[in-house]
Amino acid sequence: MNFHTYAGEVKALDGVTFLVKKGEALGLVGESGCGKSVTALTIVGLLPENASVAEGEIMLEGQNLLTITHDQMRKVRATKIAMVFQDPTTFLNPVLTIGEQLEEVFLLDPERLAREAAHRNIEIGKEEPGRGAAVHKLPKSQQKKVAKALSLDVLNQVRLPDGERILKQYPHELSGGMRQRCMIAMALARNPDLFIADEITTALDVTIQAQILELLRELKRQLSGSTLLITHDLGVVAELCDRVAVMYAGNIVELAEVKELFANPLHPYTQGLMRAIPMIDRKLERLETIPGSVPDLIYPPSGCRFHPRCPFAFEKCKLEKPELLHVEKGHTVACHLYGEGKA
Amino acid sequence: MTQTVLEIKGLKKWFPITGGLLGRTRGYVKAVDGVDLEIKEGETYGLVGESGSGKTTVGRCILRLIEPTAGEIIYRGQDITKLKGDAFRRVRRKFGIVFQDPYASLDPRQTIKGALTEPMKYHKILESEEEAVEKAKDLIKRVGLNEDHLYRFPHEFSGGQRQRIAVARALTTDPDLVILDEPTSFLDVSVQAQILNLLSDLQKEFNLTYLFISHNLSVIEHMSNRVGVMYLGAMMEAADKEIIYRRPEHPYTHALISALPIPNPALTHERVILSGDIPSPVNIPSGCRFRTRCPYATDHCKEKEPPLEARQPGHLVSCHYELKLSAPIPLAETSRKT
Repeated sequence: MNFHTYAGEVKALDGVTFLVKKGEALGLVGESGCGKSVTALTIVGLLPENASVAEGEIMLEGQNLLTITHDQMRKVRATKIAMVFQDPTTFLNPVLTIGEQLEEVFLLDPERLAREAAHRNIEIGKEEPGRGAAVHKLPKSQQKKVAKALSLDVLNQVRLPDGERILKQYPHELSGGMRQRCMIAMALARNPDLFIADEITTALDVTIQAQILELLRELKRQLSGSTLLITHDLGVVAELCDRVAVMYAGNIVELAEVKELFANPLHPYTQGLMRAIPMIDRKLERLETIPGSVPDLIYPPSGCRFHPRCPFAFEKCKLEKPELLHVEKGHTVACHLYGEGKA
Repeated sequence: MTQTVLEIKGLKKWFPITGGLLGRTRGYVKAVDGVDLEIKEGETYGLVGESGSGKTTVGRCILRLIEPTAGEIIYRGQDITKLKGDAFRRVRRKFGIVFQDPYASLDPRQTIKGALTEPMKYHKILESEEEAVEKAKDLIKRVGLNEDHLYRFPHEFSGGQRQRIAVARALTTDPDLVILDEPTSFLDVSVQAQILNLLSDLQKEFNLTYLFISHNLSVIEHMSNRVGVMYLGAMMEAADKEIIYRRPEHPYTHALISALPIPNPALTHERVILSGDIPSPVNIPSGCRFRTRCPYATDHCKEKEPPLEARQPGHLVSCHYELKLSAPIPLAETSRKT
């Protein structure tokens, strides 16, 4: 997956390029306003109307998601990409039961329902539509029945006990952690190739967050798809991801395997970020800080966008934007410090 | 021996739930349900808990921004819950508070100068306007901004700068105890570090005592000397920071700390994953309030609420059993290179 893009007048993303491999979990970390959520929304084609993608491409299994039609994009969202957002309360429909919302996902795919019905030997009434390939559509009432069975399965998969009851409940009757599990269930219902999780544990308490992280770890083992995990919490990244991309002001500044990144951060921003977080497993009298604050992206700094806050900045940083540079195997960094044999 | 600045005994705050035609009280939200704590001079006392644990309510009760339902709040030997009018005003100027949301805690129509001089005028700390402005200028510099900023309005500042202003405002009355209610949870990590450092510096400079309220265990660990862990309106465990984070004795503390994602992929450890959700503070479980999620709960826990007792001097635990719990986080033998 590759794309170079920016949204609107705010140059939210500028030449973001990365690749999610099959089956891996890639973490996208950065502070608020660095463009991590915009990146995700661009992938799923849900940018608001005032946004426009200037250039770039997003390739999903050979298909450029930026050039396909709305209907095709809908299809992609229905079957290949699923996204879960930070706040489950906003994204669940408050006037429909969990069952109605979850079953809908399955009802959109009548062929699968028919296959599942045959596979599970669910009683499908008198019509006796035969077996295997002959089954294309079930009668409506049967479809619902199969959808429900599948919904129960997927609720079970996200470790929600008492699925029967939950299907009949409305979102407000559930706790935050349960709602987030329902969102994950909906996302996983179609067995997506790419699962995008945007700050999904941020709104939760620590003990509930631990439950969800445990669930994600388990699901990662079971499922074949890839995960794009967006978060500002380096702890969550360390726990779940295989590789990490660090974003700053609409750029990817560093990309590496998770262990490599934590052991050997190269970009000054990544280094600063790691020293700025209080961590339980080290003793520090003072936190190191990154002076200043995140730049205004309507007028982003020239050259390297981090240069006004960078302790190592030199002349070239103001003039020229650093390209992502391969430093070691699987470790790339966008910084002039590492150019031309200096690595 | 360091002096006790503030002591809280049996603090309760029950919010009535009213309803029906006559507005009868149908029940209570027991936000704080019997909390004891003691804060010593010059220390930072970290109050940690998940949402709904009542930690913010404790902070607000100390300032009597909300009136406690029961209990004593003793400031330097004097119970302040009964004080009225001028007598209370004299005590309250010794307290400062910084709220969580710097976008809501500053009046958008008031200049920063106004925000900083108003408390001084109200508490009659300084006689003249000039003196107040001088002091405001001094404070704004101490928090890392400059004099020009006094004549601006809150919307002209970023979140981090606003929080600096809120800190300056908390210091205008020369407080003794400053209550920091989630002061960095709205901020990004790079800005959070700036504010935490600022708070540490000011504490030394002005000889302040802090009550640091947060849900963020790493921040509490970094800032505090002693830590109190709250769950559903009650104190579960209180001790020196090292004990809470390395050798906790309450199963809730243990689970809470082990649940924290550690930003170090080289460390792996066994986590205690608590099942279920935090019960509603309207229907607090009988006996020990943590028993519904506790992996060690027995029938005894259902019947009797365990008192908060000192196991060692300064280490208070509210649990019927003396459990042998493992270290909740891997101890850093290989200390991280930074």
